[in-house]
Amino acid sequence: MSNEHFTEPEVNENQNVSPLDDFDNAETVSAPSVSDDSILDFDDDPLSATSVSKKSLVIFFLIDTSGSMKGKKMGELNTVMEELIPEIRRVGEADTEVKVAVLTFSTEVRWMYSTPIPIEDFEWARLRASGVTSMGAAFKELNHRMSRNSFLSSPSLSFAPVIFLMTDGYPSDDYKEGLKELQTNSWYKFGLKAALGIGQEANDNILAEFTGSKDTVVHAYSGGQLAQMIKIIAVTSSQIGSKSMTLSDDTTHELGEEDVFAAKQKLLGQQIQELVNTQTDGDDVPFDTGW
Amino acid sequence: MIELEIGQEVEMEFGGKAKVLSVIGSGGQGIVYLVRFNGQKWALKWYDINKMAKPSAFRKNLQNNINDGPPSNKFLWPKYLTKEAEDGTFGYIMELKPEGFDSFVDILNTYKLEIDPLSGRAVKRPVKFNTLSAMVTCVINIVNAFRQLHRAGKSYQDLNDGGFFINVNTGAVLVCDCDNIAPDGSNFGIGGKPGYMAPEIVRGIAQPNVQTDKYSLAVVLFKLLFRGDPMEGEKVVRDVCLTESSELKHYGQNAVFVYDPNDDSNRPVRGIHDNIIKFWRIYPDYIKDAFIRSFTTGITDPTKRIIENEWQKLFIRLRSEIIQCGCGRTNFSSMFIHQNEKTFKCPKCGMEFVTIGFSNRDYRTPLYLGCKFYTCEIIPESDDFTAVAGELVENKLKPGVLGIKNCSDRQWKAKMPDGVFYDIAPGKGFPVWQGLEIDFGEVKAQI
Repeated sequence: MSNEHFTEPEVNENQNVSPLDDFDNAETVSAPSVSDDSILDFDDDPLSATSVSKKSLVIFFLIDTSGSMKGKKMGELNTVMEELIPEIRRVGEADTEVKVAVLTFSTEVRWMYSTPIPIEDFEWARLRASGVTSMGAAFKELNHRMSRNSFLSSPSLSFAPVIFLMTDGYPSDDYKEGLKELQTNSWYKFGLKAALGIGQEANDNILAEFTGSKDTVVHAYSGGQLAQMIKIIAVTSSQIGSKSMTLSDDTTHELGEEDVFAAKQKLLGQQIQELVNTQTDGDDVPFDTGW
Repeated sequence: MIELEIGQEVEMEFGGKAKVLSVIGSGGQGIVYLVRFNGQKWALKWYDINKMAKPSAFRKNLQNNINDGPPSNKFLWPKYLTKEAEDGTFGYIMELKPEGFDSFVDILNTYKLEIDPLSGRAVKRPVKFNTLSAMVTCVINIVNAFRQLHRAGKSYQDLNDGGFFINVNTGAVLVCDCDNIAPDGSNFGIGGKPGYMAPEIVRGIAQPNVQTDKYSLAVVLFKLLFRGDPMEGEKVVRDVCLTESSELKHYGQNAVFVYDPNDDSNRPVRGIHDNIIKFWRIYPDYIKDAFIRSFTTGITDPTKRIIENEWQKLFIRLRSEIIQCGCGRTNFSSMFIHQNEKTFKCPKCGMEFVTIGFSNRDYRTPLYLGCKFYTCEIIPESDDFTAVAGELVENKLKPGVLGIKNCSDRQWKAKMPDGVFYDIAPGKGFPVWQGLEIDFGEVKAQI
């Protein structure tokens, strides 16, 4: 099997399910055929090139649009997301095509657009809040779409996706069941996961279950913080997602797979924590007071 | 203090203040701002020292580079340091990118995004080289800049597509992001960019140095000419998702060049790597051989990597082998029909091109209206590949008669149809004919 290394970093869990189906797509790759060499049978202008082949990076935003998000939180979120898109545009440079997919969950689970949109063309459709918090259903839907046959159908290579969860409350459905399904998905496993809890009600432990570690969970208690945190997480994770691999100071032993496994997720945790710690609390009124 | 505020003033090391006007861009190590200092506009790079391994050593190294000055005018070099803030953060200012230059990233993308002032939307503006000669000149300029840097005993360390500004009309190059440049053997924490890093860095057994620069330089040159990743072929695409471990494998432990003659496991894939497949057929063998060497034996043995001077010679030759046919076809002579030992023929319109042989080259150079040769090609000790020494022109008084004009400041001798050598002063010329011989001094040439 051509991609057996995918299974190697897996230490224990979920071996029984078949998460690798999405990746196993070797038959789509065919060796180039050698055609004849006559000089004029093809476009031979040394200057007419197409863009270099890009690796694709999909950034998934999972956004809680339940009723409790109504008002200032949703207003703030909509505004910061509108402003954020142009900032992420630059991170891809020449190597990466960045796409964005937004999944909202309240009573129902909905995609903002029916397919991931290239960041250059993406326009934020303002969200409204109502209903309950079907987080488990959102995880299931994400699992369903994070597949080569669906939202991750790049003709070329992909980076593991960035998955960013934002919520302000406790799930109203069985999130564990949804998460369990999601955890079998290879894209999720290798993806960069981060989460933002908004206000007092959001449960950081649940968010850490989703991201896999506490380092990649942050909390915003006020409007100013919400904007800061969304920017920090989205920009940092998309930068790390499209780049990667920093230098190790120790050049005495050669790196093995175990050294680099989940290196990006660890780096994301470190950077988020560093950035969060340098942010000062604004004087804003906390989300949960004053109404 | 990570970010500066618009309007904030930053104290410079030797007095004066730089006022922040706007954000230009952000990178892995910090943010670049447009500032005003001493009545002039500059770019200020302001570091996020949290992301730096050794900020004070880094600052000291920057200081040394500023004192040493740039190796040539092809570098947008750090100019002045700022004072260190209380928390240790600092930055430096450099000159702004001049008008008329595009980033290498835009060239690889074939377009750049500009914000349309009316709609506020991002629109794509095409970016490509105007002429083949400008593209090859750009390659020579890049190679030459790194030759100068390495001769100064320094390595760039972080060579990648973000490090250049290029003028697509002339091929002029400006090397930017010079802040990681350090004396060969030193490193202040930078590793490099995936895809450009030498395999031994990816594997974690070496830090950036002059030898790893040479690998990255070969990647940059390959990307510029072949418009693709030299290590991304079938083997890599099969992985579908480029995780940390596949990156370690395909760019480190088991990097295989897409056109490795002894290993066809990683050939370019049609539909994904069409540029490489197309351009690999266009370039002459001596260029392909140099890349094959760089990306096969050069992977495991850094001493086998092509040195800058060798690249420079190869690309000066490549530039001299461009043929611009009257029918509009412009390509390397390798893509024209080699009619006989001394003649090329256009496969499109049938026009024939005579060639001239120089005593310092073992290949013949095609002649066509407007073709040029440069000082370095006729004076062995010269490194000047931009000053035109001679040009093939049409006689203004005798239309249809082609000759070579002496554009240099030296006197040449040329054999005329009467069999006699005449002195050819600067600005003068002589006809191209069957028995033409030219004496440039040390170098001779004949049809």
